[in-house]
Amino acid sequence: MGEVDTHIPDGLMDPIVVGAGWALALPIIALAVYRLKKNLNERAVPFMAILAAGIFVAQMLNFPVAAGTTGHLIGATLAVALLGLYGGIVVMTTILVIQCLVFGDGGLTALGLNLLNMAVVAPLVAYGVLRITRKGLDNWNGIGVPLAAWTSVLTAALFCGVQLALSYSLSGGSYGIEALLSIPTMGIYHAMIGVGEAIITTGVVLFLSRVAPETMEFGMRAKEAKA
Amino acid sequence: MNRSGYLKAAAVVMALFAIGLVGYFAFSAAFPDGLERVMEDNGLEESEPFYTAPLSYGEDYWGALLAGLAGFAITFGLVYLYLRGMKARNKA
Repeated sequence: MGEVDTHIPDGLMDPIVVGAGWALALPIIALAVYRLKKNLNERAVPFMAILAAGIFVAQMLNFPVAAGTTGHLIGATLAVALLGLYGGIVVMTTILVIQCLVFGDGGLTALGLNLLNMAVVAPLVAYGVLRITRKGLDNWNGIGVPLAAWTSVLTAALFCGVQLALSYSLSGGSYGIEALLSIPTMGIYHAMIGVGEAIITTGVVLFLSRVAPETMEFGMRAKEAKA
Repeated sequence: MNRSGYLKAAAVVMALFAIGLVGYFAFSAAFPDGLERVMEDNGLEESEPFYTAPLSYGEDYWGALLAGLAGFAITFGLVYLYLRGMKARNKA
């Protein structure tokens, strides 16, 4: 089955793009850590750790999408739906750092970009979609979770596509892939992968909403209990 | 919020992912994933990594299973200790 390597490797992107990834990702992650620290619910700690470990494992499981390509869960929407935005960002960051440092998944220099796409952009998009759908659809989140999952994967992928394109133009072709190729192909493959993400995320959220609704930040109930 | 809810939720998440991990081959495929496919389509090869990690995801079923278990344990341990430490510093 060969190498299982799923994130941006070293030497793919232009150094300027790599630096920009770190510069954008770190302040947002630091803010999330700070905000989480203020609002951390002690009882949720073991659950957060289990969820992080579960998403780590889920990222190893590739499912076939189409045309000889596979995809795997990112898990950002799942983390945000269960833990909220800050918990989601911190959990995704931990997973990506462990994958990089311990398992060599994603390059060490490229970690900033991987963090930006999967631990910052994906959770932010997921959170935005979950918030908007919860407000706009009379507290009914049935559409919100799958839509957030799909949109967050596609947006993260398009960010990666843009980073490839920027790398290509900045370096005059020594790094990255040109925009006309990178952005559509990243988009098309991940529009399909996002469907898998939506199905898995919705399944887990739906199930947890039934057995343990009080643990959900964005559950799938007909009505949110207003405090 | 009650404690049993979190315990139940943790048990459910763990069971779901345990099924996923043991059924690794049933769901997993040897084809490239999204980004790898895009790199392949454009004739890009992965270059030598800048840093070599101590572990990998394994070459076969048992290797992957072990890597999954190790990853599960490491991730759980780190997040748990980190958040507990965060809480302790909050109180201090």
